[in-house]
Amino acid sequence: MALSGMLWPRTVDEATALLAEDPDARPLAGGATLVAMMNARVLEPHALVNLGRIDELRGIVREPDGGLRIGAYTRHRETAASALLTGTGAVVRHAAGQIANATVRNMGTIGGSISFADPGLDYPPAIVAADAEVEIASVAGRRRIPAREFFVDWYTTALVPGELVTAVVLPRPESGGAAYVKHARVSGDYATASAAVCVAAGGAVRAAIGACGPTPLADAEVDALLSRDRSDAAVTNAAARLVALADPLDDVRGSSEYRRLLIPRLLLRAVRRAEATTAEAHA
Amino acid sequence: MSAAVTETPIATLTLDVNGEPVSVRAALSTTLLTTLRDELHLTAAKRGCNQGVCGACTVSIDGEPMRACLSLAQGCEGREVRTLEGLGDDPRLVALQRAFAAHAAFQCGFCTPGMLVAARALLERDADPDDATVRAALSGNLCRCTGYARIVTAVRAAARALKELA
Amino acid sequence: MNDRAHGAVGRAVPQVEGEEKLTGRAAYIADLDRPGMLHAAIVQSPHAHARILGYDVAAAKAVRGVRGIVTGDDLAAQDRMGAFIKDEPAFAKGVVRYVGEIVAAVAADTEAIARAAAALVRVDYEELPAVVDPAEALAPGAPLVHDDAASYVKVFDAGTGGNVCSRTEFRTGDPDAAWAQCDAIVEATYRTQAQAHLSLEPCGALAEIDAAGRVTLWSANQSVFRVQASVCESLGLPMTKLRCLTPRVGAGFGNKMEAHVQPVVVLLAIRTRRAVKLILSREEDFETVRARHPFVIRVKTGAKADGTLVAREMELLLDGGAYGDDSPGVLGYALLMQCGPYRIPHVRGHGRVAYTNKMRFGAFRGFGVPQVTFAAETQLDELAAKLGIDRLELRRRNMLHPGDPWFGGQAIRSNGLAECVDTVVRESGWSTPLPKSDDAAPGQRHLRGRGLALSAHISGLLASGAIVRLLEDGSVLLNTGAVDIGQGSNTVLTQICAEALKVPVDRVAIASPDTDGSPYNWGTTASRVTYVTGSSVVGAAAEIEKKLKQHAGEMLECAVDDLELLPGGKVAVKGVEQHAVSFADISARAHWAVGGPLIGTHSWVFDTKTFDPKRAVALGLPFAQIGIFSFSALVVEVEVDEATGGVRVVGAWSAADVGRAINPQMAAGQVEGAFVQGMGYALTEELVWDGARLANPSLMDYKIPTFAEVPETLRAFLVESDEPSGPFGAKSVGELGINGVAAAIANAVADATGVRVQQLPMTGERVLRGLLGRERA
Repeated sequence: MALSGMLWPRTVDEATALLAEDPDARPLAGGATLVAMMNARVLEPHALVNLGRIDELRGIVREPDGGLRIGAYTRHRETAASALLTGTGAVVRHAAGQIANATVRNMGTIGGSISFADPGLDYPPAIVAADAEVEIASVAGRRRIPAREFFVDWYTTALVPGELVTAVVLPRPESGGAAYVKHARVSGDYATASAAVCVAAGGAVRAAIGACGPTPLADAEVDALLSRDRSDAAVTNAAARLVALADPLDDVRGSSEYRRLLIPRLLLRAVRRAEATTAEAHA
Repeated sequence: MSAAVTETPIATLTLDVNGEPVSVRAALSTTLLTTLRDELHLTAAKRGCNQGVCGACTVSIDGEPMRACLSLAQGCEGREVRTLEGLGDDPRLVALQRAFAAHAAFQCGFCTPGMLVAARALLERDADPDDATVRAALSGNLCRCTGYARIVTAVRAAARALKELA
Repeated sequence: MNDRAHGAVGRAVPQVEGEEKLTGRAAYIADLDRPGMLHAAIVQSPHAHARILGYDVAAAKAVRGVRGIVTGDDLAAQDRMGAFIKDEPAFAKGVVRYVGEIVAAVAADTEAIARAAAALVRVDYEELPAVVDPAEALAPGAPLVHDDAASYVKVFDAGTGGNVCSRTEFRTGDPDAAWAQCDAIVEATYRTQAQAHLSLEPCGALAEIDAAGRVTLWSANQSVFRVQASVCESLGLPMTKLRCLTPRVGAGFGNKMEAHVQPVVVLLAIRTRRAVKLILSREEDFETVRARHPFVIRVKTGAKADGTLVAREMELLLDGGAYGDDSPGVLGYALLMQCGPYRIPHVRGHGRVAYTNKMRFGAFRGFGVPQVTFAAETQLDELAAKLGIDRLELRRRNMLHPGDPWFGGQAIRSNGLAECVDTVVRESGWSTPLPKSDDAAPGQRHLRGRGLALSAHISGLLASGAIVRLLEDGSVLLNTGAVDIGQGSNTVLTQICAEALKVPVDRVAIASPDTDGSPYNWGTTASRVTYVTGSSVVGAAAEIEKKLKQHAGEMLECAVDDLELLPGGKVAVKGVEQHAVSFADISARAHWAVGGPLIGTHSWVFDTKTFDPKRAVALGLPFAQIGIFSFSALVVEVEVDEATGGVRVVGAWSAADVGRAINPQMAAGQVEGAFVQGMGYALTEELVWDGARLANPSLMDYKIPTFAEVPETLRAFLVESDEPSGPFGAKSVGELGINGVAAAIANAVADATGVRVQQLPMTGERVLRGLLGRERA
């Protein structure tokens, strides 16, 4: 049945029921992405399911097992300032702080952002490096999938019609360091290329490259190599694997060749920066 | 036979704008910017790009600077909207206006309303920002005329003037 | 003349429109409403080049709320506009020449209805071959953008034909023979990109028709008179039928100097007999208006072993886009300025503007000089390196001294270049070596370098007038027709008038430009308002002074020569302050008793010849009289990220010879704003075409500098060389500060890295490629 206008569910269940009722209805979070598309007449929805009054979706909380649950409607500003995102979890905080500008960070949300899956976004490589899961709700219930599996292709996620991102869940952050290095033409632009790296105190490394293909670039073998050896030569060697996996665009932000050149350079910078910013995670 | 343009139904809603409840009519796709400018004739907020990039539409929603062009009117029910026209008596705004005039922190003035809303919010959060903090807070407001340096100077001067008043 | 005692001139008077802008009450074109107003939407061409076979507007007309539709069928074939070549219809007629060109427009009760109806307008096209590259456009057999360009009316000997929009050539000395005298020669080719003006305010217009059929037109513009001429020429209207006005304007930089949507809106108003408003979206503004010309510059410079410059040759190819617009002027001006502020005895400059099937390119701050300065000033650094001479020293040896004429022979009267150079050299710490890099690992370092560029610009040209009136109460009304686009001309002209009559600034009101009531003013462009219009203000005020003294002489019973103006609006006997009459007294006498209201007028056209035919040969000169010269020196310090090639400007010291700073704060603001706009031009801004289609017509994809890109140190210095022909010694400053920016940054990047980038913008990608092995990027 076709819905109409702005709808305000109070719970996730109400929201998913509405989406199931009308597959053409769109969920609306901060609006930073969706409304821009409506203004450009790229999208002309007749019904919007506004998630703004669902308490469960807001804020960052610690789960019983020590993991961190970032509600889908958490604004970038809050994520960028969260004292809970320390140690290896800080990679998500660093990424949030470099999204667009302060005013847009007052509006945009992590759920809205990753649901759009623009490959130039800052969250995707960061949540992959953080080994996060994405929690998804529908009338059939909840499921969680690794962030790596959430991003499927250019502007395509694993969401099926009727589904909604409800949270990004990080495992308990380890003490150690993290960095998100973004190269863009000017402040506030989408990344030309980016590198997200976590270096745990015990030496385990997770890395992901953003804006160099339809989805974040990450590879278990690369993580294993870096975990063993983080010398300049080893990082460059590991980066070569990521370059081989890359499928970057030629666009106004840079050519595909430039992006391939940036991958090892940004990865090295991110590794060094992560090493330099070691912090204790909350126990 | 004449064809009508199909649009989503027009809803009547009550918004809190500049401290007053106002009744407005808006389609689903009507942005707060359009409602403010075309229906309420509050034209200080400008349409520079309609994509959320330039910042000329910046208004305060629930006390935070936000893009009116990326806010749907229907989504603003129950929220406090303040435009430049409604911030008139705020001493931070007055200090900023004086400093902007004294330091020539504007030329064509098109970016100025959005800039003032964002700067006022900054000074509310941080009474003594340094240059880097000012730049970071305002980096979402584009200016093509001034080269930005004078705006930073003016915001710092306003902060100093407010401290002296306190 | 240079008496600073009174104090309106030389003071940082705040902008006269300040309060309305700071309270958000300033009314720009988008803020205006008229009773019964309709809203318009445009229909754009999807093709780069196509014949229009017909229109089907039936579906669009049937939409409820549509009040009028105009197409090319509503235009007469012979009605065309154009600043130099009358090649442009009000909107597409018979042929479309670029993707995005306006082909029709709809007026309706609301914008939503207008846009929906516009989407239903069907245009039948026959696609034609298109050409988008200027070099290809000039090759034999290229598709013609205009079937018979040679037949268009032109205002000068343009040499138009085929896809050549115009051609120009200047020569002094014996350039072909002079190369043999040179001990070192450098030659290279440079490419510069299309830059979008990106005024924060998109273009728009509102037209209203009265019962007598006369149209009143408000629009975002830089000249009400150019708007009037363009609309009337392109619609076949007598000028008496159109009155053009100006609301507050949200900047222009050249984008609003010639027509944009005004002809479309006026035509819709005439058709519907209602007021019609059209405001372009940001995307439409990017796609349909104009941008800075892309240049291909081949430049060759030769010098003696001691660094004395001997010869210069510059060949230019400009991409003109589909219509001539200001292109012939940009070509001619760029060639005039190609030598920079140096003595070079043997010079040949030649170039062509090519028509292509892209949006027209037109006036943009600098008007061709940022392009040629990029090429010439970076080449000077290379020449210095080749000769083993310090790059500052090379410039000092060849700089124009006071008394030297400009290339082509025009005398230069005020020349503050040396002081500009000394100032930026001193303030930037030029002589103190820079630490070359931080101590990061190789490949991850940040490298530092400095660059220098000298440049010049004119304060020109064409015609201005001024009317100064004494109101009944003795206060002053000034009317010049000059549009204030935010740069502060209303304030500066008010200051000049107040200074001339020795009254407080707030005793002078300045009228809004109005083709009905204002004297002709060519426009706010070419850095001309302070100098040309300011001079008119001085002239008109002088007439008022004469008339004031005539009355006062009769009222005080003394000779006119014994009278002087006193501060505050009084005329007194010299040395006898008490023996005075006020402006108010005089005005009352004039209004009610003797002589009539006091009106002072002045009108002139800049008339100093650009070229001395004994010294220079010019072919295809678009302007015989252009302006006087001002000078600038700029030092930039950059940091280059070895890992990404990203260039960050960390310091900029920019000195401008302004003759006399009427409003020092505003003049400095022009220099600073021009620097940042130039930085965007140098580093990040580029309109990109995907075939014939503009690929990045959006602020998401076209990026200008933000607060974060501004250097920590950005300092403007004003040098006052006292121009005798200027109002209180002033020259203009609007464009001067942008010309040298790309060159100074390129020179700094080369200093930091050894990489010479010969293409703009100097993106991280281009610099990184250079760092990785190709010396020229």
